Amino acid sequence: MSRPADTPASETPAVVPLTLDQRPARGPAIRRRIAILGNPNAGKSTLFNALTGLRQKVANYPGVTVEKKLGICALPSGGRVELLDLPGSYSLRPGSPDEVIVRDVLLGLQPDTPPPDLIVFVVDATHLDRNLYLALQVLEIGRPVILALNMMDAAEARGIRIDERALEEQLGVPVVKISAARGTGIGNLRRLLERDVEPSTVRFRRLPPHLARVVQRLETRLPRHELLPERGRHDLALALLLDDGEDDAIARAAPPEVLDDVGILRRRLDQLAPGWRSDDIEERYETISQILARTVLSPGETRDANRERIDRVLTHRIFGPLIFLVLMGAVFQSVFAWAQPAMNAIDFLMTRVGFLAEGLMPAGPLRSLVVDGIIAGVGTTLTFVPQIAVLFLFLSVLEDSGYMARAAFIMDRLMGRVGLSGRSFIPLISSFACAIPGIMATRTIDNRRDRLTTIMIAPFMSCSARLPVYALLIGAFVPNRWIGFGTLPGLTLFSMYFLGIAAAIAVAWVLKRTVLRGGKPLYVMELPPYRMPSWRSVLITVRDRSLLFVHKAGTVILAVSVVLWFLASYPRGGPEVSALASRIAAAQAAGDAPRATELEDEMAGVSLRNSFAGRVGRALEPAIRPLGFDWRIGIGLITSFAAREVMVSTMATVFNLGSPGDDVVSLRESLRGAVDERGRRAYTPLVGVSLMVFFVLACQCMSTVAVVRRETNSWRWPLFMLVMMNALAWVTSFAVFQGGRLMGFG
Amino acid sequence: MMHAPRGERETPLDRLAPGEQGTIERIVGDRSMVRRLMELGLVPGTPVEVVRRAPLGDPVELRVRQVHLSIRRSEAAQIRVTPR
Repeated sequence: MSRPADTPASETPAVVPLTLDQRPARGPAIRRRIAILGNPNAGKSTLFNALTGLRQKVANYPGVTVEKKLGICALPSGGRVELLDLPGSYSLRPGSPDEVIVRDVLLGLQPDTPPPDLIVFVVDATHLDRNLYLALQVLEIGRPVILALNMMDAAEARGIRIDERALEEQLGVPVVKISAARGTGIGNLRRLLERDVEPSTVRFRRLPPHLARVVQRLETRLPRHELLPERGRHDLALALLLDDGEDDAIARAAPPEVLDDVGILRRRLDQLAPGWRSDDIEERYETISQILARTVLSPGETRDANRERIDRVLTHRIFGPLIFLVLMGAVFQSVFAWAQPAMNAIDFLMTRVGFLAEGLMPAGPLRSLVVDGIIAGVGTTLTFVPQIAVLFLFLSVLEDSGYMARAAFIMDRLMGRVGLSGRSFIPLISSFACAIPGIMATRTIDNRRDRLTTIMIAPFMSCSARLPVYALLIGAFVPNRWIGFGTLPGLTLFSMYFLGIAAAIAVAWVLKRTVLRGGKPLYVMELPPYRMPSWRSVLITVRDRSLLFVHKAGTVILAVSVVLWFLASYPRGGPEVSALASRIAAAQAAGDAPRATELEDEMAGVSLRNSFAGRVGRALEPAIRPLGFDWRIGIGLITSFAAREVMVSTMATVFNLGSPGDDVVSLRESLRGAVDERGRRAYTPLVGVSLMVFFVLACQCMSTVAVVRRETNSWRWPLFMLVMMNALAWVTSFAVFQGGRLMGFG
Repeated sequence: MMHAPRGERETPLDRLAPGEQGTIERIVGDRSMVRRLMELGLVPGTPVEVVRRAPLGDPVELRVRQVHLSIRRSEAAQIRVTPR
């Protein structure tokens, strides 16, 4: 069965919205929208990059976490077309959120994305038969298609010979041989994009008779839908019958009485032809083998010697895990070694910009807002970029070379114990450096529930921002003694890392049995051939990840940063501050600079203690008293939402120490010597431990919240994370402090 | 398509040792899972090879239609093959 004659390709609207760039000055208007589609690992993105260069943008499909990649492609004639890079799919009968999007776009059910005028279907020529499965499904829905036989260089090297003219004849659409990675054949493809391509008129053997009858019956019951072309009713009927995911667009497109009918028809088919749900698959593979028999002149070398050689080492029982660990170690060493200087440079630069602004603006609330609110917020956002860039540089090389799938293969068993898959391992390990890039790296997890679980537990990994806090508290409260096989400070630090991992495992276990419970997912994953990564693709990934973080998370970070600035700086003044101000002026007049600095530090302390943050800290005291914390720690808990290490500088300000700089010795002394209202010691070692435990578990990082918002495309998950982590932190610190007191510590 | 008669020799795929091959007879279990495995090319009559096991014994690597797939042993157990 194929496209009825009454539905020409031109039925899709001729005038399309210009979603990417509406400025006519940049060239002729965009006439057509072309989608790139294909299996994962078929080289779709490489082709997309080769056709669009750097003219791309990334957004999200509304309501889901699937990324929408759009670009502009210049044609030989000077015209331009809009390219849409659809997510890699195995089938139009969706098995993942990505594949739901592909089906909905092609069937015209995706509201923000009209069906493409032309589809470039990318096929990996070295895996022709599996790739042709989706190709046939796409041809069957009767849209214009160009088939791009990609990786022809690899295919020819293996002696695979394909008669493309015969393939054109068999499929009824233009076929072009390309190698997207090498850039060969791209010119031919560009020329083809200018042509008006007709949908295939080949009648593919399609549905077994019993299925065809049922689909036809269903089809006539469907109303004419504004979004669906005439032909689309057949595809919708098929989707209604065969797709039983958790969706959505298909069910909405059909009236309720038809949905009832679908249930009845399914039950009848279950009785008549028990295997009916997969009959079309066997038919399609049968068709494919007939097509291949007429088009593949030589199947070439069936074994990939290269991959076998590499895999023997990389997935070896002993060397495999060893190489993986060494590789991961090298990656994180590089993240620290390469990103740290850049982060320091950004930090230095932003401080300079702050000084500059201070010099240019008169003192006052506006200057304070610009310097301590806006410039500080922009600085926070930017300091994450080096880590994101370096990590994604490595991760995309590992992904594009094919190694990432092997890493997941090696780690799957271990992660399976907590209900996740091997794909979760690298994002979690990355989170020891920083949860931000770690959470962004969860995109390679295709199972939605696994991905959300991984995002929810990633911030439990002790990130580098917690280290200054641990260092301060261990230095202040843990005696430097040898016990057993290590020093007490070292063991304490180790315990904090361990506590984070234990919490992550426990939370993953609970989430997978409660809010993220779901049917048994299929953990089948393709192990692609090894390939040389293309530098262009790698650099585009690095750029996209960094820019998306700055755009989407940066705005939230900036807003929260301004709010935190406000809380810590208002209300200003008061009699105490005025008195100090005149004493500072007096000290300066007398030329006693050290005294003036001392008084300035005291004034900063007074201002902070009297600010809204100080008041909230005091108001918070009853809630955190059972954990051993007083209002001064309460202030630190609020300000450290900007970033955990801010805790250190806040405590310094609270104790009138000004900025602690590199030397935190005096701050340690102050913490040890701090007294409460009744003159007793305010912070015992037990309080120090309780506070560290709180820092391990609490979600005290606006940037994490912002990136979870961006990655889950909703506020629900970041808020859930905030509540869940802070509740867990409170309960655990409570248990540590109260338990410790019962046992006679502190 | 011709289906070979289900003989005595029908074996769950996870029982095959690395390097052994079989022909797929049928896939049992959850129907959406059966569909997905078949769409990936694991249709009855197709030859399949167990290439290796992961270092920790699970999952296993399969080779089918020149595509290599990682699949958990519990999932592989639902694929029934005739060894050859």
